[in-house]
Amino acid sequence: MNSIFEAYSKFPRADCGYCGNPSCITALRRYCSGEMPLDKCLFFRTGAFDPGLIHYPAARDSPSKPGISYINPCPSDAKMVTVEVSLASGMHAKHGYYDMISLDRIFGRFIPSLKVSPSLGIARIEHDGRAIMAFKEGRMLIRRALGEEDAFMQLSRAMRQLWAAVN
Amino acid sequence: MLNVEAIRKDFPFLKEGRVYLDSTASSLTPDPVIQRMIEYYHDYRANVGRGIYRASQRATDEFEAARERIARFIGAGRDELILLRNSTEALNLIANGVQFKRGDRVVLTIQEHHSNFVIWQRAKERFGLDLRIVNSDRQGFFNLSDFEAAIDGKTRLVSIAHVSNVLGVRLPVKEVAKLAHEQGSLVAVDGAQSVPHTRVDVGDLGCDFFAFSGHKMCGPTGAGGLFIRGDLQERVAPLCVGGGTIEDVGIDYYRLRRGPYKYEAGTPAIAESIGLGAAADYLSSIGMQNISDHEHALTRRMMDRLPEVPGLNIYGPPNAGDRAGIFSFNVQGMNSHDVALALDSAAGIMVRSGHHCALPLMKELLGVAEGSVRASVYLYNTLSEVDLFVDTLSEIAKTIA
Repeated sequence: MNSIFEAYSKFPRADCGYCGNPSCITALRRYCSGEMPLDKCLFFRTGAFDPGLIHYPAARDSPSKPGISYINPCPSDAKMVTVEVSLASGMHAKHGYYDMISLDRIFGRFIPSLKVSPSLGIARIEHDGRAIMAFKEGRMLIRRALGEEDAFMQLSRAMRQLWAAVN
Repeated sequence: MLNVEAIRKDFPFLKEGRVYLDSTASSLTPDPVIQRMIEYYHDYRANVGRGIYRASQRATDEFEAARERIARFIGAGRDELILLRNSTEALNLIANGVQFKRGDRVVLTIQEHHSNFVIWQRAKERFGLDLRIVNSDRQGFFNLSDFEAAIDGKTRLVSIAHVSNVLGVRLPVKEVAKLAHEQGSLVAVDGAQSVPHTRVDVGDLGCDFFAFSGHKMCGPTGAGGLFIRGDLQERVAPLCVGGGTIEDVGIDYYRLRRGPYKYEAGTPAIAESIGLGAAADYLSSIGMQNISDHEHALTRRMMDRLPEVPGLNIYGPPNAGDRAGIFSFNVQGMNSHDVALALDSAAGIMVRSGHHCALPLMKELLGVAEGSVRASVYLYNTLSEVDLFVDTLSEIAKTIA
């Protein structure tokens, strides 16, 4: 897998601060946005780590138009509802996949039951039997909603939580 | 040996970023099959068995040639092959066509797809059948003595799957058919999961009925078949009657035709059946042995690597040699649909999730009424796709489970 998480795993993760950044995560973020050359890092400059291994994955455009993709009965229980929406922007829009890392490491603690995979670009919340998933490119999906109204209420709640956390 | 890269070029659906691991639900369709169907619509789009003009004659010829190809593919005679929509329709034909009496016993297994389960529950309501379900162990293996105990002199029919669509285990069809025939019972086989993947010979299996779907064997949707042993057709009534099925009709009588035609009421799926004939040719030209060998290599890799995934429960036989390329599993702490959604989003991997139309098996045998994830491989899948699948699944299990 060629993800930012993998790239991060190839960073020294010493958080030494010699490059002028408070942590390796910040350094990676600035490297990815073109603001910091890798040779600023002492570990890379001395050859202790091989920067040749680092490939930054290009951010992908949202695959679908913003709006409701579908409203369907749940595959496992037809009395419940599954809704998928596409947002105008994904979590990668501003800062790359990095934001999934900050969601995971910093802000996520305020959302009970949140699980985040920065490497896959997926966040997952379970709420009273409902399952909500957010994908990095800006797709969000709820399963086992009690009805259409419930689905959109839960989705907007999760949207506020996740996007407030990352943007 | 099979040249996967060349084969993949035949399948227009296989584009960059798509990993199709749901062939057990429905397989992809290659260009040679699609082209044969387009040819029908472009060059001889007419009804079969009706017109005297050239296009209609050609349509009839091509349709009948397809019947012959498909029949040969499963080792049946051309008059023994009925062209229907799919296995479900074929099995319904059996349940409604055999003249059951109250108290007749029908024997099934716990591993049946709903298509071979619900029809018998309904037949029980309608005809008062004595329904017996033979259990397997959790891995999917049967004890032949359980079949011996279930099949008695009152047994009219034994209807079993050839390969389980959940566990991937092969059922002992030949042995069961022998037992059933010793008791004077008929034998029906649901071959939906076997015909696409291994060489099937209905004569060698010793069955009286054999149902299969075309859309799982590189054919189009809406075309499938049922083998009914020739001498049995007199005693099995059609599911539908109407145009095409009759020899003669008067005000107060009708006489059905002989052979497969009596079961094929109305205009059949002409293009689709011709497509299915082309699919049979396509698979034969690659060689069924090559296809099973390739799938076995993929299965070995899958079974070698799946234990790397933390918290994975895999159902079915533990040895790669005992199973077809079907892998049902659950990731601890995650619903099967969420796993499927994550695989799709993260790597474009398409797998099935849920109960796989086999609720009795999921509830009674596996105890997972909420379902499982199911990945399956076919001739166009590669070892690197299996690796990507296991890697992505590991990442899912480690991060969001």
